[in-house]
Amino acid sequence: MEAEADLTDLLGRVAQGDRAALRVIYGRQSTRLFGIAMAILRDRTAAADVIQDAFLKIWQRAGQFDPSRGEGQVWISSIVRHAALDAARARGREIPTDDPGLGDTLMEPEALNLLEASEESARLHACLEALPKANRQGIVMAFVHGLSHPEIAAKLDQPLGTVKSWIRRGLMSLRECLS
Amino acid sequence: MSGLPTDPAELTALAGEYVLGTLDARQSRMVEAALADHAELAAMVAAWEDRLAPLNLLAPPEAPPPGLWERIEAQIGPRPAAAPSRSRFLRLWQGWAVGASLAAAVLAGIAFLPAAQGPRMMTVLVSAGNQTAWTAEVDRRGGIQLAALNAPAGQKLDTAPPDGRVLQLWALPPGAKAPTSLGLVPRGAGVVKIETPAVKPVAGMLIEISLEPPGGAPGALPTGPVLFIGRLTEAGPPT
Repeated sequence: MEAEADLTDLLGRVAQGDRAALRVIYGRQSTRLFGIAMAILRDRTAAADVIQDAFLKIWQRAGQFDPSRGEGQVWISSIVRHAALDAARARGREIPTDDPGLGDTLMEPEALNLLEASEESARLHACLEALPKANRQGIVMAFVHGLSHPEIAAKLDQPLGTVKSWIRRGLMSLRECLS
Repeated sequence: MSGLPTDPAELTALAGEYVLGTLDARQSRMVEAALADHAELAAMVAAWEDRLAPLNLLAPPEAPPPGLWERIEAQIGPRPAAAPSRSRFLRLWQGWAVGASLAAAVLAGIAFLPAAQGPRMMTVLVSAGNQTAWTAEVDRRGGIQLAALNAPAGQKLDTAPPDGRVLQLWALPPGAKAPTSLGLVPRGAGVVKIETPAVKPVAGMLIEISLEPPGGAPGALPTGPVLFIGRLTEAGPPT
């Protein structure tokens, strides 16, 4: 894909210390990345701190990005997600959220239709649809909203141990389905 | 003791839960710490990132607050106009970025040496005044060779410390909060070899030389100014 080749090239320039290249990446990706951080943190100040932290990491680690091992977009997104998850953990994500509807939209099947956007994501969609409903919901809530096992258990009104093993089994089924 | 499972199925599941985000802080840190040296785990994590990445489409895009880029830019190195309160380290770091083209010219010279056993990674350490001062090369066994460069014609470049002080070499891997000492640079040495550095050299790692009291920094951290700095980059395959 041309856009991806472009991002690989930009990351290569960032690795050489090119700040203008980092600025271009920020311009193209920040709205998407801020959305990812917001879905986990639900707090604009905290999400902005995470994006700042993540871009510093991209700046420092661009030399480690290896295009033969994955796409630049995936690499960048995962830096942002892990920074947001770390921030959520530091904040104590076990604290009950004051948003009782959190994650509910993702429990509606049509929400996953967004995954029909590309061939690759449609494959994941099909594999998710093949999972038992609760396994699918647990995985989506954990990935998109950064919910912990206890939070997902509360949401699905199921014992913690059950939810843990559902999610683990769900992951293994996805792996098999996608292989 | 890493605490990681040895069973491949368990390790795959752990990698998946790390990417999903359901590990607690302790387990998550354990996985992160193991990634650099555990190629199998790193490959599993990369595969999970790849598999689950489309789920990012479910997070509604949202514009970040205005001024966020300026905050990022200030952190990675200030614009030349706005600098007075920056730490010496940051200024030097920025100096490195500015001096990169000069460094690149020197690197190009090195890269075209016959390189059957060429270095895996290298950098040129520059002074606060952007003068290239040392090269650091990482060989295929992970050893580091530091070599003093001659001053460009007509310029004075002194890589020796003032009397009564010593030079100490440090490494700061990407993401690390504090540098690790790689030892002292013997006075007057043109070439220093560190066969087994205290930290494994990786691309993006900063190599710094600080000025310290005799015997080196008394604690684990540099106490004197950072005189020279460079960032390791892949040297590319030998041609």
